[in-house]
This record gives sequence, C-alpha cells and structure tokens, in this order.
Amino acid sequence: MTRNTQKWYDKPVTKLILITIALTWIFPVFGFVLSSFRPGESIKRESWWDAIYTGKLWTELTLSNYSEIFFADNLDRSFYNSFAVTIPSTIIPITIAAFAAYAFAFMEFRGKEVLFLFVVASMIIPLQMSLIPLVQLFKSGIEVFGIPIIPALDINGTFVATWFAHSGFGLPLATFLLRDFMMGLPKSVIESAKIDGASNMTTFFKLVLPLSVAGIAAFATFQFLWVYNDFLVANVFLGVYKPENLVVTSHVSQLAVGAYGEAWHLRTSGAIISMIVPLTVFFSLQRFFIRGLIGGAVKG
Amino acid sequence: MKQQTQQEKLKTIGISFLALGFFPLIWFLFQAILFRELTELISRNLLVVFALIIGSTFVFLLFWGMDKIIKLSPKDNRESLEARMFAGPSLFMISLFLFYPAIRTLYISFKDRYSNDFVGFENYKWAFSDPEMLVTIRNQIIWLVFVVSLVLFIGLIVGWLSDRLNKGEAFFKSIVFMPMAISAVGASAIFKFIYEYRPPPLTQIGIINGIRVSVDRLGTQCMNNRVIDGVFNGFGDPNCLKPIGWLQQRDLTNLPFTENLNPDGFLSSILINLPVNTMLLMVIMIWMFTGFAAVVFSAGIKAIPTEIMEAGQIDGASELRVFRSIVIPYIKSTIIVVGTYMVVTVLKAFDIIYVSTRGDLETNLLAVKMLDEFSKYRNFGRSATVAVLIFVCVLPIIVGTALRERENTQS
Amino acid sequence: MKKPLLVSFLLLTLILGACGGGSLEGEEVTITGALIGSDQDGFRAAFEDFTAETGIIVSYQGSDNFEQEIQIQMESGDTPDFALWPQPGAVVDAATRGYLTPLEDLGIDLDQYQNDFSSYLVGLGVVDGVIYGGANAANLKSIVWYQPAEFDARGYTVPATWDEMIALADQIVADGMNPFCFGMYSNGASGWLATDWMEDIMLRTGDGVDSYDKWVSHDIPFNDPMVKNAATLLSQIMHTENYVVGGTDAIVSTYFGNAQDPMFSKDANGNPGCFMHRQASFITGFWPEGEQAGAGSITTVFPFPSIDPSLPAAALGGGDMWGAFNDRDATKAVAEFMLSAEFYNNVAIRDGNARLSAHTGFDTSLYASPINKILGDTIAAALSANSFRFDASDLMPPEVGAGSFWKEMMNLAVEGPGYIDTALDTVEKSWP
Repeated sequence: MTRNTQKWYDKPVTKLILITIALTWIFPVFGFVLSSFRPGESIKRESWWDAIYTGKLWTELTLSNYSEIFFADNLDRSFYNSFAVTIPSTIIPITIAAFAAYAFAFMEFRGKEVLFLFVVASMIIPLQMSLIPLVQLFKSGIEVFGIPIIPALDINGTFVATWFAHSGFGLPLATFLLRDFMMGLPKSVIESAKIDGASNMTTFFKLVLPLSVAGIAAFATFQFLWVYNDFLVANVFLGVYKPENLVVTSHVSQLAVGAYGEAWHLRTSGAIISMIVPLTVFFSLQRFFIRGLIGGAVKG
Repeated sequence: MKQQTQQEKLKTIGISFLALGFFPLIWFLFQAILFRELTELISRNLLVVFALIIGSTFVFLLFWGMDKIIKLSPKDNRESLEARMFAGPSLFMISLFLFYPAIRTLYISFKDRYSNDFVGFENYKWAFSDPEMLVTIRNQIIWLVFVVSLVLFIGLIVGWLSDRLNKGEAFFKSIVFMPMAISAVGASAIFKFIYEYRPPPLTQIGIINGIRVSVDRLGTQCMNNRVIDGVFNGFGDPNCLKPIGWLQQRDLTNLPFTENLNPDGFLSSILINLPVNTMLLMVIMIWMFTGFAAVVFSAGIKAIPTEIMEAGQIDGASELRVFRSIVIPYIKSTIIVVGTYMVVTVLKAFDIIYVSTRGDLETNLLAVKMLDEFSKYRNFGRSATVAVLIFVCVLPIIVGTALRERENTQS
Repeated sequence: MKKPLLVSFLLLTLILGACGGGSLEGEEVTITGALIGSDQDGFRAAFEDFTAETGIIVSYQGSDNFEQEIQIQMESGDTPDFALWPQPGAVVDAATRGYLTPLEDLGIDLDQYQNDFSSYLVGLGVVDGVIYGGANAANLKSIVWYQPAEFDARGYTVPATWDEMIALADQIVADGMNPFCFGMYSNGASGWLATDWMEDIMLRTGDGVDSYDKWVSHDIPFNDPMVKNAATLLSQIMHTENYVVGGTDAIVSTYFGNAQDPMFSKDANGNPGCFMHRQASFITGFWPEGEQAGAGSITTVFPFPSIDPSLPAAALGGGDMWGAFNDRDATKAVAEFMLSAEFYNNVAIRDGNARLSAHTGFDTSLYASPINKILGDTIAAALSANSFRFDASDLMPPEVGAGSFWKEMMNLAVEGPGYIDTALDTVEKSWP
C-alpha cells in the first residue's frame, strides 16, 4: 500500500478514537468485576471508585463471594448437567444442519428455493411459542386421527428432551449460515469430485466438511454460548421440578437472588462464575469464530 | 420391462419409507427410551458420561443408517432420495418444532382467554387499542430503529478503523466482541449495576448516580457519603443533586435542564418526553452486538481487492469519500445480512427487559408482553396475538430475502 | 366393652401403619413453586421428619421463573404433583381450567381444614363450591416498622390512629427529618406497595371488612367515593412535602426491598433517614444482614393505625396456596401433612426464616425470632376472628390486580393528588 504519505488513520486521533471505544466497552465490566471481590457490606457502604480513591479497596479484597457460590451444595452437579445438555445440543443441530446445507448448496431437488425460504422464515419464530406443543410431544407423543405416530414417551426431564428442543430451535440459523458458507466454497472442486464418481456422502465427508471447518466452528461457538446461557428451555425440559436436574445458569441465579435484596456481592460473583465457561470457549475458539462468520456473511 | 419399473418404483417407495420414516423414528425412540430408563437406573455421573458420548455420536448413526438403506435402492432414484435424506431431518424438525407451533399460535390468536371459543378479530382490536400495547409497539419501533442503526453505524466505524490498525487489531476486536459471549442476563446485571439507584441518604453505588451526587453545586460541597478524617460528608444538603432512578424515568422532566425548555415546542417536547429508561436499556443491547457487527464488517472490508482501494486513493479522493463510494457499496450485502440478523434479534429480544424492568414504566417489548399475557394475565389468546404481530413485523424481511435469493440465483 | 374397641383401634393403627410404611416407602412426590434461596431451603426442611417417618421422598424445586414454567407445564399436561402459588388467584385459575384435584378427593377432612385455617382463607381457593387450594404460609401486612430507641430518644410515641400518625409525621418534618420510608419499585410488579396501603386504608374506612369485600368483588365500582377517600389518604402520605425520604422520585424508583435501608442509616447528626415503614412481615428477609438479628427488638412493628374508630380492628395479609395435580396415595399423604399444624415446625425454628404458618393451631413459640411469634399470633387471632383479609390486588382479576391497579398507583405517585380521579377511572374502565 501507499507508504509515502502519512494517512489520517495512522495519526494519533484514530488511535484515540479506538482506545476511547475500547475503554467505553470495557468500563461497565470493570466496576462489576471489582465489586465481586468486595464484601457485601463494603459495596453498600462505599462506592467502588471511592474505595479505589481512598485505597481501602486493597485491604478489603476477598474471595469469599466466590467461595460462597462456588462451594454451594451441588453446584458441580449443575456444571456437569450443563455440559451434558450443551455439548450434544451443539453437535446434533450442526450435523443435521450441515447435511441440509450441503443439499441446499450442491444438490438439485424439487422446491429447493421455497424450502430454503421456509428455513429463513422460521428463524423469526420465538421459541417461547414452541414450548407447549413440544412438551406435549415429549410427554404424550403424536396421534394423527387416533393412530399414534410417536408413542407417549414421557421423556421430559431427560437430557434427550433438551437436546432435541435446542436442536430444533438452533436449526434455522445453522442451516442458513452453513449453506451460505458452503456456497462460498469453490464449486469446481465439488463438481469435479462428482464427476470422478464420488458419492454425495463421500464428497460431504471428505471434501465439504473439512473445507467448512471455520463456518462450523463459528456456528458451534454461537450455539454453545446460546445453549449454555439459556435457562428457560433447560428449566422447562430438564429441571422441571427435580433439583438434581438444574443447569448451572439457573442454579447460580437462584443462589444470587436467593439471598434477597440487593446482594450485589453475590450477584456480581455469581454472574462472573456463570460467565467462566462461555468466555473460555469464546476466547479459545474466537479465531474460528471470526473467520467463520466472515465466510458466511461476506457472501451475503 | 414395464413390470420391472413398476417393481422398482415400489421398491423405491418402500426404501424411502424405511430410510426416511421408519429408521429415523426407531433411532429417535431408541435414544429417548434408553435415556428415560437410564435416568432411573444409573448414577448421576455415569448418566452424564453416557449423555456426552451418546448425544455427541448418535446423530452420525442416523445419517449412516439412512445412507446404508438408500444404497439398496435402484441407482436412478438414488440422487433424489439422497437429497431428501440430506435436507429431510432439518426440514422435518423445523416444521415440527417451529412451524407447527407457529400455525397453532395463529389459530389460538383468534380464540378467547382459555382458547375455548372463537372471538374473531377481538384480540387484534385489543392489540391496537390497549394503551399498554400501544406503548409496547412504540418501544418496539424505537428499538428497531435505534438499536439496528446504531449497531450498524458504530460497527462500521469500528470495523473500518480497526482494519487500519497496525498492531493490536485482534486485541481491540476481542474487547469489543467479548460482550457477545456474555448472556443477556449477565449483561443486564452489569448495566443495572451502573444505573443502580438507592434512596437518599444512602451511598450511591451506581456510578452515574455516584458522580451526580458528588458534584459540588451552588457553593455547597457534596459528596457520596465519604468519611474524611472521621467527618461524614454526604449529599443531604438541598443544594446537592439527588440521585435518579434511571430505569424508572419515562421522560426527562426530572433533569433540571428541561425546566427551561418550552413544552409546546416541537423539538423540545420530543426531548422532554424522551423515554430515558428505554434508551438506557437499548444501550445494553448495543453494547452486546456492536462487536459482532464490527468484526463481520472488518472482514468484509479486508476482502475488498487492494487495487480498487488504491485506485480510489490515487484519484485523491478523501478517506470519507473512499469510505462512502467504495467501501459501503462493496460490503452492501454484508450490511444487509447483519441488518437482517439484528432486526430478527431485536424483535425476539426479551431477556434484557425480562430481567431488568420486566416491562414496568413503559419499557415493555413485544416478546416480553407475549410472556406477560401468557403467565401474568393468563390470557392465551392475547399472548398468541402478540406473537403473531412479531411475525408480521418480519414479513418484509422474508420477502426481501426471497427477492435477493432470486437475484443471486439469476446472476 | 372397652377391650374390643382398644383391640380394633390397635388393629386399625397396625393396618394403617403397614399401609403407610409399606406401600408408600420410596414413593416420590414433586413440588414446584416460586420459593427460592433460603425460603426454598426452609420449605425442603419442612419435609425432613415426614420423609423419615413415611419414606415418601418429597422433592421441591423452585424457580424464579415459576409462573411461566407452571403455565407451560399445565398446558402441556406434564405437571409435578403439587404447585405452590404465591397468590390464591392462580390456584382458582388453574382449577377453573380443570387441572387441579379437589381436596376432598385427596381425603382431606374439609371441616377440619376450614377450622384450622379459617373459612375465609379456605374460601379463597374455591371454584363453584369445590375446595381446590391448600393454604400454607401467610404474611401480615397491616404493620409499620419502626425503631423504638429512635422514637424514645426524641419523645415520639407510637401512633394508634391515623390522625396521630399524621401529627407525628408533621412533628418529625418540623424537626427537620423525614417520617416515612416508601419504595414501590419491583420488577414487573411495581406499585404493589401502594395497593397494599390502599387496602389497609379500605379495611379501616367505609364499612370496613364489608366494603372491602365488595370492592374486591367489584360490587362497588373502583371509583366509588370510599375508594377515592382511600386514595386521597394515601396521596397525603405520598405527596405531602418531606413526608417520604427522597420524595416521589424515591417512591417510584426505590426497589421495595431496599426501601427500609434509610431507617438503618444515620446521617451526620445521628438521625435516621426515616422513622416509619409500612411493609409486610417478610421484609425482614430483605434487610441488610446486620439488621436482621434486631427484628423484634431494635426494629419492631406497631399495628397499622385505625382510621374510623367505630370499625373493629382488621388485619391485611397475603400468603401462598398449593394445588394438587393428582390423587396418588403419596400425594394424599403429603397433602395431609402440609395441612397439619406440625408442617411448619422445622421451618419456624430456622434462623432468618420470614415465612409464617397460616395454621391457627400452630405453636408460635417455635419461631426462632421473637418478632415472628408476635406476627404469627396476630395472624392466627385475626383469622379466628374473621378479621383477616387477603391482599385485594391478588384477588382481583389479573388485568386489574396485576395490571392497571399497580400501574395507576405508580402514575398517581408521579402525577400528584390531582390525578386521583383519573387513576381510579382508568382502573374502573380496565375491569373485565
């Protein structure tokens, strides 16, 4: 690029703007994180910036807010539950969506366009509406004119129920994004593979899937964060009324609210504890995440 | 010969029933029943291990099995069967889990409170006449306009500028992008801590009120209850500013500067009636989604061929001009995709309101109103009606996507 | 003559014992509700002895999103055995839709039940003459929290009548302080504190309990002069200059759980932020931890003052109520236990418990905190004397009780006394 003239964007003013934005973005978190290390009474007695100013902050830092929540009874169990819900609920929709995306991108079949629009349209359906029919389905199956298509299974409260519920809710976006991503792959490669006589299954597994890793990782991160942070679906399908089925988000929120009133020391530490997993996943996968989104969205 | 095709046809139908109907059903039932029984039988930790293994692998078994069965069919029909096998599960689940409930909702929206009798358009009349619904619709429009445009605008600026950083681009992006990893509930808690109001004379722990009450005014020293040398300094003096419950302000009348404004003037009346709480709640969503937009835009900008950019620069066009006439047109489709995604997200937004104000003091949004009608007022007909309104808002977008798809396939 | 009776009695107990111990051993009964945190621990603790005795495992799981989740569960037919609702109105709603089992089918002795919990309270869970709701905990709202030491130090006396309370308030204002704490913000339920005030005033004006009941059932309109009088008295508290610490801004913006904090915080001259706070018995759970131990001694209550001296004393309160979704034998056993006087024993002895039994025969000396004993006795006495009335906004149709009534009280606080007529007319119009 042109190096001879100094562009305005190399000037300090650009950096200043960016640094201001970065600080604005990180600032809300700052006081929040700080407060999670202060005793409850201190948070209420002295604001955190005053505490920094007077220097009292450094003497009162404590981990007790964290231990109060972290060592609460059975929080570990809730963590395990969260993983048992989240990981399959990420893998199942991605797999199903990847197959569908392949079909929409590379295969010819009747009504392809209309069906794809149908997928796009279903993105907007608020999941709250689906809860009742789904709970019914998982409880008593489906009958069409008296003939049971799916028998009464009574599987609410098992992990399977949450996997399928989350898969259903995640599918439209997954199919949409992955199909967009796959459309961006070089068509010639796929076509030549077909000419060589490779079956769709082989092309999919040997060629398309490896090339789409970035897109898949992107959606996986999305879906993982979404499922992990969710509490409504988990409460309805899993934690229905059994304490051993709680997932970590609703468990932590109960611990933090359960103390009544303005328990900011628990609300802050509780929120941070429930953020640990998503942030870890996010920072370790963000390379894929950002690249994958690019692939999908840039194509449009 | 004819006999042969007839037989083949039958065979194909049989196989497609077996592969696409019977086998997936068995697959699903096996999993469901297995877990229902295991949940009772084995210990919790073992169950979690089983869940992780089976949940993560079984879905491949589904496609493997379907593929094996389809391989039995005559070669000519295989391609169409395979297409159905690839797209089928996704379409089936979407129709069963989302589309069928949506149709059902449309149906319920014409029925009464407990879905017993049809009431015609009664619920829709309510939706457009009830004062609270009107406020909710107003808020939804404000959210759509401001959140979507601000996310796009700030996202573009950040994406454009950060692309030009030599060092620290990734770090900078991670900071702006990080809120995406935080749940809406967590983000709302973070901002509630900033907007926090406590009645005077208590110490203000939210930073906005904290700064507000610490401003020295009219020669009086005001402090946020700080003890200096054993002397207690508060903000009890009438000259000091009082804290404000930010999420409880429906308008600006509590701020001193509005006193001098003429309430009859057009602009000033808009200013006075500015719904502060709604604005502050929107900040949470903008904070959460700007990073996402910025990263996608910066990727789009990176993809612009260097020659085009250089051509613009050599022509001596100003940066702003390059941005307007090269960058924006080039990433137009990206902007539309992000915009679409944001519109959908804003229309579905409910967690922020649900955990921060729950719609009190005119902050409600349609998705929360839908839940309120369902569980608070226990009126299923109205709840369904609000849901239908949410779809209707999105119809233009679906039509737009359809048109764009057609353009893409034609070009 | 006596022997056969004794023998058959023994036999009966043996059979019953065998049935109870044998057939229900290991059965699981599930309950869900809105109680979380320490209330949830308390509710679980209530069943400890029961489980040890009968072998029935009772598992309770609360959720802060209970109201939505139970709707989904009922609509989809996948319910627990019991749900514990914070308002009886929701029980009536569920029963009307046919989801609940009548208590009679659970083998409950209905006469005994009405006797134990008062026919008024039982009557709140009735649909078409059939009893569906099981009363559980109650709270007392007709109380004003104050700190006797602060009163004594300044020579203030506890007001027994409304006029005395106003006189005291004026005195405090004249002394340069604020008499009342008042905060009614509550996510999704903002305004309920003002409706509570209105209800307490309604119980003490007009025809007292009678006009209160007519008001609840909409036999008198919402903009009746009696209601307007109540709103005017409430507005006197909310809008008189310097009555409420922080003024109307604070009334609207203060989270109800923090509202009393100014009373616990002293300014440079050692004066508390406020002297009186009218709030229900459960508020102690929201106090700063350091203040909770002083409930009943450092910070205690006086009864909400009487207004019309010719009316008998009345107590306003709230409470929760359960409904059962089936009539399994284990469900029956749990239902019977929840209606027994002993149900609350393990809850009452817990430190920091702020929930009170609604059973009039409950042994109130078991309460760990002295204030709970006083409040519990008051509730039991009021129930027995039929002078206990349930929170009106919980009994009105949800569009009013959880909608326009709350909302218009918020508006009233902001707009001032001139808004009273508009507020009442708006609520009247919203009545379905």
